[in-house]
Amino acid sequence: MDNKPKKWSYIYLVFVFILMYAPIFYLIFYSFNKGDYMNGFDGFSLRHYQDMFADTRLMEILVNTFIVALLSSVLATLIGTFGALGIYNTKHRTTKNLLLSLNNVLMVSPDVIVGASFLIFFTMIGMSLGFGSVVLSHIAFSIPIVVLMVLPRLNEMNPALIDAARDLGASNYQVLSRVVLPYAWPGILAGFFMAITYSLDDFAVTFFVTGNGFSTLSVEIYSRARQGIDLSINALSALMFLLSLLLVIVYYFISNYSVKSSKKKRGGAAGMVVHQ
Amino acid sequence: MAQPIIEFKHVAKQYDDTVVLKSVDLEIEAGKFYTLLGPSGSGKTTILRLIAGFLEASSGDILFEGERINDVPAEKRRVNTVFQNYALFPNMNVFENVAFGMSIKGKPKNEIKAKVAEMLELVKLGGYEDREISELSGGQQQRVAIARALANDPEVLLLDEPLSALDYKLRKDMQYELREIQKRLGITFIFVTHDQEEALAMSDWIFVTNEGEIVQNGTPVDIYDEPINHFVADFIGESNIVPGVMREDYLVSFAGKEFENVDGGMRPNEQVEVVLRPEDLDLVAEEDGKLVVTIDDQSFRGDYYEITAHDDDQNEWQVQATNPAVIGERRGLYFDPEDIHIMRLNESEEDFDARLEQYDDSEEDEEGADEQ
Amino acid sequence: MSNKRTFSYTVPYILWLVLFVVAPVVLLIVQSFGNIYGHFTLDNYATYFSSGTYLRMTFNSVFFAFIVTVITLLISYPMAYIMSRLKNAQFWLLLVILPTWVNLLLKAYAFIGLFSKTGTVNNFLSFIGIGPHQIMFTDTSFMIVAAYIEIPFMIMPIFNSLVELDRSLINAARDLGATPWQTLTKVIIPMSMSGVKAGIQAVFIPTLSLFMITRLIGGNRVITLGTAIEEHFLVTQNWGMGSTIGVILIIAMAATMFFTRDRKKKGGRRRG
Repeated sequence: MDNKPKKWSYIYLVFVFILMYAPIFYLIFYSFNKGDYMNGFDGFSLRHYQDMFADTRLMEILVNTFIVALLSSVLATLIGTFGALGIYNTKHRTTKNLLLSLNNVLMVSPDVIVGASFLIFFTMIGMSLGFGSVVLSHIAFSIPIVVLMVLPRLNEMNPALIDAARDLGASNYQVLSRVVLPYAWPGILAGFFMAITYSLDDFAVTFFVTGNGFSTLSVEIYSRARQGIDLSINALSALMFLLSLLLVIVYYFISNYSVKSSKKKRGGAAGMVVHQ
Repeated sequence: MAQPIIEFKHVAKQYDDTVVLKSVDLEIEAGKFYTLLGPSGSGKTTILRLIAGFLEASSGDILFEGERINDVPAEKRRVNTVFQNYALFPNMNVFENVAFGMSIKGKPKNEIKAKVAEMLELVKLGGYEDREISELSGGQQQRVAIARALANDPEVLLLDEPLSALDYKLRKDMQYELREIQKRLGITFIFVTHDQEEALAMSDWIFVTNEGEIVQNGTPVDIYDEPINHFVADFIGESNIVPGVMREDYLVSFAGKEFENVDGGMRPNEQVEVVLRPEDLDLVAEEDGKLVVTIDDQSFRGDYYEITAHDDDQNEWQVQATNPAVIGERRGLYFDPEDIHIMRLNESEEDFDARLEQYDDSEEDEEGADEQ
Repeated sequence: MSNKRTFSYTVPYILWLVLFVVAPVVLLIVQSFGNIYGHFTLDNYATYFSSGTYLRMTFNSVFFAFIVTVITLLISYPMAYIMSRLKNAQFWLLLVILPTWVNLLLKAYAFIGLFSKTGTVNNFLSFIGIGPHQIMFTDTSFMIVAAYIEIPFMIMPIFNSLVELDRSLINAARDLGATPWQTLTKVIIPMSMSGVKAGIQAVFIPTLSLFMITRLIGGNRVITLGTAIEEHFLVTQNWGMGSTIGVILIIAMAATMFFTRDRKKKGGRRRG
């Protein structure tokens, strides 16, 4: 058992990885198809990429999606970081546990519930659906992941560092800006990246709160996919895959940096999980 | 006597129902090396944190140069701390750590640079400015922590068990160096430790704490030679403690015999405890001894043999001897009248000091009693 | 002394907790007791529990989620086990995680191409002489796609629990005379149960609510709790009934978490 894995286990491993990646590469492969369908490769062509870039509606949605992602992740990171500080500073155990449980409610709730309840909420306060409601929703569901990324960093910080800074004359603000935030920085950065991916990846919540005028990439892909095959979506998926790859690599380096600086062997890839 | 730099008046600290410090009084004079010595949980670190300003006293006054500082926040106190695990900022290098306090105050760059260099020189880390904290050994981190605290020009330096993470050899070196630094700078050091050997080696004055109280204070020699009670005798150095009865002044009875000694001022036939240090006992021939003991065990300790024996009353005796003994052999135990130290049960520190002054002034140096 | 100022930093976070965590859930529950005119009523619940359609839909949804969870577990456990033994385990984990960063809709879209009547899978089936079949818009296709999407979320927690498992325990079991099979069933599997439970939570609950997959792949044949909620909120505009199903889904979620909770943790055992 402790000796090396046997040959069949490698075969199984490779087989599962092929299953996991086949549909993705299948999509990318057909994005280069001369023909219009995903059956039978008629020859190499970049025309679906040209179509995609010429599709002004799609490009506009792409820009919207990134604006929503950046705006919501910056704000969620701000709010979430200070939320994590608040939880960290809460001494009362019951209050702390209550805050932590409430923090995780949106993480464990199914997306439809989150989407439906936000829809009721926005309607209730009379907010019209569109860009604003989408950004607010994305901020809302990204905050807990930021908290979960920042809080462990704060918890592993030696509390004597805060005493030491105050002992050397730092005010509350200086303790925060010079010691606590720099120390938590890898966690904050990781939280920011997770918030971006959460936002880029979200479909269900956006679908509920987007109304008619405004659309993000996920919603657009959904409505186009319901009408059937469109190979410019394949081209888009190739680009999105590259982007994901880039984000994963960036994230991996961030988390490895934080692992190195805290001299811990854990972490690494384990934190980078996006759930639908 | 000059005005004390730090003074505690009936300072107490409690969390909800747990009392960690019962009404403590103490005075710290400028320019000396003080040690707070006690087992963990005895309140010594609480006293340190109260001085630093990390804790607020539940009652009582804390004075700094005669002014009440209970409500002055830590960052405004002219006191700096060397923390137990150093608490160096991991996101800054050596220079930035040492410069932290000065850059907070907005001192000019060249002044900071010169001061950091001076401080690193002082702790023998000259030229280490650009090193990262993670590249330093434990001993070097310790030195950076000292330099960082001293760079702020504190009037009092607080050291919270700073040597506990170092290995034995390094600890010895640092004890010596800390003492040197304190003498050179002439500022007050308050050192917290649970290591009695360390306390005896370094301090001008020791406060022994136990269960939230200061049980005894004095010079290392006083405390070693005249422990006030069972706890202090046991905690500081090795001790043989046996029950006895004070027949009259200068005559005590224990282990079934009467002995001449140098203590007095007690009621006739008062129940007391008798302390004899193992290094004051000599093994002699059976007929030359004041007591007769049977050797039970011995172990070699490098520079001496530690021998355990028992007398005919079944009291256990520890003896440090330069020559080995034979297990099972009967030997005489010899000691001088001055080696016998008497402890009254439940004697307060005031009474203890008063009694010593009254009866012992021929031998004591004056310092022992003038504190209160 | 610094409490007041730190508190002001946290105001936006507290506001978020109240407005986006507590309020929406409360509103959803209130809504479930309202009819289309906004009056208080128990009608929605009465309808739900008396209607065969709703109950059958709920049963189907739970059943599908159960099958999908079992399939992913069967595929993922050996996978996680093999990965945890490899030298560059973290790299393989990264490879498992990468597909989760690809947009869910794109993955579902890929299967539309694969499963369509003239798609690649049917071409292959015809080639080996057993096709073509209607694959799209069937229960099977829904379950395959759902399982495909959920596999990484099952592998990860199991992998983590296996990596944390102390190697010397396995050696100890072997040393005490256990066969490899006994070591697996008596030591390794029981000790990785917390990972399995976390994986079940991570797969079962979302599968109950995956409405986009049922729409794209299952056609309108497969209806899950999630699809029903979407239908009532966005198509028929019957929010009261939609909220009622939402409450049912929340209860199902709570039940799942209750049955798969980590009992050992409650006893104060902490890992890592």
